[in-house]
Amino acid sequence: MTAGDLRWGRRILMCPPRHFGVLYEINPWMSSEVKVDADRAQSQWGRLVATLQAAGAEVVEMAARPEVPDLVFTANAGLVNGDQFVPSHFRHAERQPETEVNAAWFAAAGWRVDRLPEDLDHEGAGDALPFTPEGGHTVLLSGYSFRSDARAATALADLLGCPVRPIQLVDPRLYHLDLTFCPLDGRRALVAPLGWDGYGRKVVEALVPEPLVLSDEETLAFCANSVVVGTTVVMPAAPLRVARQLEAWGFDVVECPVDEFLKAGGGCRCLTLALDVALSA
Amino acid sequence: MSTETIEVTGHIVDSLLLAKILDTILDAGCDYEIEDVHIGKTSLDPSTARIAVIGDEAKLDQLLDELQVHGANRTHQHDVHLVPVEQDGVLPAGFYSTTNLAADVRVDGTWRPVENPEMDCALIVADGRAYTAPMHKVRAGEQVVVGSDGVRVHAPSHARDTQVFEFMASEVSSEKPKALLVTQVADRMRAARRRGGRVLVVAGPAVVHTGGATDLARLVTEGWVDLLFAGNGFATHDIEADVLGTSLGVSVAEGKPTEGGHANHLRVINEVRRHGSIAAAVEAGYVTGGVMHACVRAGVPFVLGGSVRDDGPLPDVITDTVAAADALRDQLGGMEVALMLASTLHAIAAGNCLPAGVETFCVDINQAVLTKLADRGSHQALGIVTDVGPFVGQLTNELLRDA
Repeated sequence: MTAGDLRWGRRILMCPPRHFGVLYEINPWMSSEVKVDADRAQSQWGRLVATLQAAGAEVVEMAARPEVPDLVFTANAGLVNGDQFVPSHFRHAERQPETEVNAAWFAAAGWRVDRLPEDLDHEGAGDALPFTPEGGHTVLLSGYSFRSDARAATALADLLGCPVRPIQLVDPRLYHLDLTFCPLDGRRALVAPLGWDGYGRKVVEALVPEPLVLSDEETLAFCANSVVVGTTVVMPAAPLRVARQLEAWGFDVVECPVDEFLKAGGGCRCLTLALDVALSA
Repeated sequence: MSTETIEVTGHIVDSLLLAKILDTILDAGCDYEIEDVHIGKTSLDPSTARIAVIGDEAKLDQLLDELQVHGANRTHQHDVHLVPVEQDGVLPAGFYSTTNLAADVRVDGTWRPVENPEMDCALIVADGRAYTAPMHKVRAGEQVVVGSDGVRVHAPSHARDTQVFEFMASEVSSEKPKALLVTQVADRMRAARRRGGRVLVVAGPAVVHTGGATDLARLVTEGWVDLLFAGNGFATHDIEADVLGTSLGVSVAEGKPTEGGHANHLRVINEVRRHGSIAAAVEAGYVTGGVMHACVRAGVPFVLGGSVRDDGPLPDVITDTVAAADALRDQLGGMEVALMLASTLHAIAAGNCLPAGVETFCVDINQAVLTKLADRGSHQALGIVTDVGPFVGQLTNELLRDA
């Protein structure tokens, strides 16, 4: 197994930050007293697009909408599985209007839209990332507690036809799974145990043969919120220790600052949604 | 103690969710029983577990909220289904049949305690109250619980004091030191008395045959018995022993058969019938001692339930068995201890009417009787295999020692 065999991440959905701002506070990083520099946000986003494209990814854009500023975080749109799309059900009222925007976009783009039961919250790829061990079946690791329900994992397994393992998120600063877990290939992943309870740590330990375990400091710098395109790992921050290990495994590390988005609690991964994920294949 | 059933489905084994849920239950100081578990064959197949969570009511509510976060939901979230009785004494098909455990029913989203737990009854809901009723007592129009939705049964409480629980846990005690058991039964009677609880004694004829009647009469006189339940045989032989000195014709003092003694009990029954009642016979000075005399003198109520092979019977015997059981039921309020002394049919009848919370001690020389009682569902009963006469004597000494 070599670096770069991740079977998804070459086709990415993004939404420009035309209306982005910190207008409400729904995670510990958000403060409505903090102003977002719109120009800086736009240029950081543009640089992320260029970096991903340079790494070989195709970037698909969806139109920004003023009433839903967090649409920019496309990772939370939902879960893609081949030609199937399951839109997120957001826990916070502020983000709930995004569901229909996302469902409409995917339906128009040719996806089959399947819905979660009304009473279950799940925030899409923000809270669920696939790991395919070499020679094994794809497992969707799903975080729960702050934004998603544990029971949503059961509903998703039914809808997607792939095993979903719910693990509990325990640190409110790491409110989504994608702040704690980043699959790299069939053996490796960036993992941040700070975000999980003891059971969750054991589940990841059993799933990932060669984890790169992030320190608490690296975790809180959003290292795990990275985007992997083949052999390229695009990171909001790339501490030397982490970058060296990734390079030793054969990855190219590109640091792509997105600190305007960190003000809303989002990093590189949060701004992207892989459109080429096939879970039940 | 309460029990709630929860269910969790999904990839609960690989995600360690099941292990976490079970650990969480124990960490909260509660207990669980896995009622049903279905493990998926491949990693793709979901698994399902249905778990009964047992614990203190206050803890349980908090725990269930916590478990809900991990995806485990209560299975009983429905109101009871009520169907009206159409015909007096006939229950709707599918009626809920009760246990003797404390229970709650959910009406309009609120759990209400069942007022008088009794096994093998129907549950009636009226004016926001819930109570049990035996089949023959239901009347047309009453609302009866059908199915088991909205009914939750509380596990037997072991919380009151662990020592008793350990003591009670042994069920039948043929191989235990009897003196120790006697002391413990006496302790339970004293404890019940301190709490203002009542004591029921169910007595069979063997109490008289084995010479235990005098001691039992002392217990009645000294206020240790609040209700006596027996049959025609016990009352007859008790009076026979007082009046003629025999029990079923055998001299209680010498243990020898007496001339013409086989008819002694009939002659005694005949005389009491002449007086009109046991109380009248006592008043007239015909009966001057024994348990029935003590009950009359001390004002302790008794219920005599008849059976098909009774001689006479004594005028106080209720020959309609349904009416006899109702008469017993009417007097069971506040009962906390039941002593079943060498009685089979009356002990089972009383056991059927008692809520599980009543500490029940069954004394019999024959272990099969005790096993039978437990098999009929009176699991709260502790069986003591011993000769009843000496047992009553020791218990009386123990209780009256300080007097």
